[in-house]
Amino acid sequence: MENILEVKNLSKTYDNFALKDVSFNLPKGMIMGFIGENGAGKTTTIKAILNIIQNYSGDIEIFGLNNRKEDGRIKENIGVVLDDMFFPEILTPNDINSIMKSSYKNWDEKRFYTYLKDFALPTNKQIKTFSKGMRKKLEIATALSHYPKLLLLDEPTAGLDPIARAEVIDLFQNFIENEECAILLSSHITTDLEHIADYITFINNGSILLSKTKDELLDHYGIVKCTEKEFKTIHKKDYIRYRKTKYAYEVLVEDKKEFKKKYPVEVVDKITLDDLMVLMIKGEEA
Amino acid sequence: MIGFIKKDLAMIKSNFKTLGLLLLLYVVMGFFGEMDVSFFLPFISVMIMISTFTYDSYNKWDAYLVSFPDGRRNSVKAKYVATLLMILVVSLVTLLLSFIIAYANNKTINYEQILSTMLGTLFGTLLVLSVMYPIIYKFGVEKARIWIFLIVFGVVLAVSLLASYIDFSFVGGVLSFINNYIVLVLILFSIVMVYASYRISLRIELKKEF
Repeated sequence: MENILEVKNLSKTYDNFALKDVSFNLPKGMIMGFIGENGAGKTTTIKAILNIIQNYSGDIEIFGLNNRKEDGRIKENIGVVLDDMFFPEILTPNDINSIMKSSYKNWDEKRFYTYLKDFALPTNKQIKTFSKGMRKKLEIATALSHYPKLLLLDEPTAGLDPIARAEVIDLFQNFIENEECAILLSSHITTDLEHIADYITFINNGSILLSKTKDELLDHYGIVKCTEKEFKTIHKKDYIRYRKTKYAYEVLVEDKKEFKKKYPVEVVDKITLDDLMVLMIKGEEA
Repeated sequence: MIGFIKKDLAMIKSNFKTLGLLLLLYVVMGFFGEMDVSFFLPFISVMIMISTFTYDSYNKWDAYLVSFPDGRRNSVKAKYVATLLMILVVSLVTLLLSFIIAYANNKTINYEQILSTMLGTLFGTLLVLSVMYPIIYKFGVEKARIWIFLIVFGVVLAVSLLASYIDFSFVGGVLSFINNYIVLVLILFSIVMVYASYRISLRIELKKEF
């Protein structure tokens, strides 16, 4: 499968934080959910992909091109929704259309206004009069209207009500029907990712903890809830993390079928992405 | 680049009314023979353009623009071109109004005086632009604000002194004035100064992190 985005050994050091050897690949036709707690390095990684931050080591290839050498060619085919970064709020959607028309070869005015209509957004009011949800919708409409091949979305559904979120998720699914395209989607709303993501990449404290297909994660990984006595019978190589709660031990296992064969447990629960994040971050290593 | 110029001009369109009122005030003051404030108008246009940097950083547009094709390069180019356009338009309108006021008041136009005031003003304005923009690109508008006040006051004072005390009568006639060596030096120096400023701003912008 051809990759639309390849991040190799991306490292960047700040005073209080560092990205450490971040590597992952996003194949064409796929949606990758990019998860991790606040400050884990999701936005910094997206900023590096876009060269918003620059002095980093490692290589980033987009559409098979080096992101630093072929900036102009690459950006023509990228759509972005970035957390808290957008057009100055004294502008109107009409202004945005006029600006984008002169900035992107493929800008489709008709498509942009169709999105605005579908989202019920006014065309001639300043962005500062918009609610957070309306603003987010405008950002999404702007990102989609020049037929990008790669969407980089940092918290695109934050601030949207469930109905609007469902609309937006549908839009992303339609977008990905073109198998030449792909989406890297960072979100804290993991239920959305469970619906639409094909891959999950999990970053914590600047390092990638895992990058796998969603099915591989949700079908194979599991949580065993057991007593302390039972927990002590589990061999360390058979679990990844564990967490002691008030009433039981929660143990994260990589292959629930194998685990059930090996240990006399009745139930190994399916995991959610939330469970996975909590156990990987708060749990103790084997 | 055109897109970014459109963006800057769209952002300052609400200031056009204020600028129009200032021009009107200039005309009224001119007819009543009050102080000549024509030198101040192109400065105002630069100050208005500087306000766009504040909006850019407040909404983190300065980071967002990097996601555009050649965003960094085009944004710097556009900022300079939009500012020069503003200065040009305001200067031409001011010049035209100065001619009209002079003719209405005295039934004659002292081209030398008006053009020399305008030349001094333009040079001063371009100097402010050339010094301020790299400082703003480097430190942001907030930190550069103190510099803006110091330089604007300095230049305004210098230009008003120049306009009030220096006698330009040694320059004979409009054509000889345009052909004058000093004028050429000022024009050439302005071009070099603005271009150098653009290159420095671009260099700063290309290395910037957000």
